[in-house]
Amino acid sequence: MIINEKFTAIRKGLLEFLVLKIVAADKVYVADILNQLSGTEFATQEGTLYPLLSKMRREELVDYEWKESEAGPPRKYYQLTAKGREQLRETEDYWQQISATVKSLGQPAGPQTEANAPR
Amino acid sequence: MNKVIIINLNGIAYQLEENGYEALRGYLDAAAGRLEGNPDRDEIIADIEQSIADKFRAVLGANKTVVVTQEVEDVIEEMGPVQDASDAAPGGAPGGAAAQKPAPGAAAAAGEAPPPKRLYRIREGAQLFGVCNGLAAYFNIDVTLIRILFACMVLAGGGGVVLYLAMALVVPWANTAAEKAAATGSPSTAEEFIRRAKEGYYEGMKTFGDRRAFREWKWKFKQEMRQRKRDFQNEMRQNAEQWRTNWHQHWSQWPHPHPGWWFAFPLLGLMSAALTLLCLASIASLVLTGAVFGFFFPAGIHLWMGILILLVVFSLLKLPLKAIRYSCYCHGGYGPGYYRPVLHVWSSLVWVAFLVILLWALNSHSGHAHAAIEHVRAAAHHVVDALRDWWNTPSPRP
Repeated sequence: MIINEKFTAIRKGLLEFLVLKIVAADKVYVADILNQLSGTEFATQEGTLYPLLSKMRREELVDYEWKESEAGPPRKYYQLTAKGREQLRETEDYWQQISATVKSLGQPAGPQTEANAPR
Repeated sequence: MNKVIIINLNGIAYQLEENGYEALRGYLDAAAGRLEGNPDRDEIIADIEQSIADKFRAVLGANKTVVVTQEVEDVIEEMGPVQDASDAAPGGAPGGAAAQKPAPGAAAAAGEAPPPKRLYRIREGAQLFGVCNGLAAYFNIDVTLIRILFACMVLAGGGGVVLYLAMALVVPWANTAAEKAAATGSPSTAEEFIRRAKEGYYEGMKTFGDRRAFREWKWKFKQEMRQRKRDFQNEMRQNAEQWRTNWHQHWSQWPHPHPGWWFAFPLLGLMSAALTLLCLASIASLVLTGAVFGFFFPAGIHLWMGILILLVVFSLLKLPLKAIRYSCYCHGGYGPGYYRPVLHVWSSLVWVAFLVILLWALNSHSGHAHAAIEHVRAAAHHVVDALRDWWNTPSPRP
């Protein structure tokens, strides 16, 4: 629980990245995005997602088009723009870097650090 | 049985229970507030409304046409609080920005506002001190109503008298043209508040069909009402301050007697009364026995001369007392003392109390006095009876 709270800011920051990934895979509408996130640590709500998508659209990372739905009014289907694709690539690279750093740090580089590792 | 309110979400009507409607409205208002300053605010709100509409549609069916409160709350819960993504970077900024927002508008509104209405007493058409008249002008209510209100307060316990007199003392007359205008003229505060509320409400109703305009109006209207409330409070504060200064000025005009005077003044009165009694007793003694308490005047002094001498002597004795009393009136050299009537009333009260105590003491401790008082009582009854008889007997025809 404590860890969950400590990582709130990180999850929030990563949300945009994840939305980029989801939108990159397919044309989706908001309920799809929520569904895909719902099982994960990044489960979120419309109240957060709509403003985020709006911001991303303003930054020209995503775009949407109206599509008729089988039931009810037309929906906004989101897709990535060229700029969004570019950003996704950059972010993925950066994420690789980060996770590599996270993995490598604290690893036994020599015998003297072994003693310091709390076990 | 619950009242149902029909709302329009992106062009489709939904029926909500009243409490659910309130909850939804609160949610959307909060969302609009939190997205303040976001260029896509309206679009985001529209998206959110659309999403809410989808969820409502999911719970409704052929046999279920009303969204109950619990369902509305569930939907709101599911939606989650609206968080402005653009404000995410500077942490805690959205709340602060929203709170700061009304300030410049408030300053502008205060700047262009007409000079505020003030409570004055109005001489024209005043019955007594113009307090009711002033109040009527201030609240723009018929003066008769205010007077009836005051009359009721007087009858209900006399609080009205105190209030009226206090206001008569503290609230200034409207003397200059500007003051008169401020007392009656420019609309303000209570009346203006109600007028604006009504006007705004109807204006809002007109744009009810246009969802965006309606939301815009609602937000503005709320802001304005809040501003009005602030103005009203400010004005009340200013009025209170003005009244306070008036009160101070009013009392500082008059000398404050030293608190000791409240004790000394009746005492002086008692002393001079005692001297007067002594004077009368000595005169009586002189007339009856030819000597003042056994002290004979030198031969050759007539009775009337003796009385005159006694009067002069006693008035000389009373002179210092009188002088002290006078200095009390004129304490501080402000001319005729304002406290004179107050002190006199106080003095008479002490006198009455003194007499009552004296009579009570005589009645209970001296048999003679008791008999005398009983006699006086009997005599009084007798006099009253005689007067009644005289009144009841038909007067002889001339």
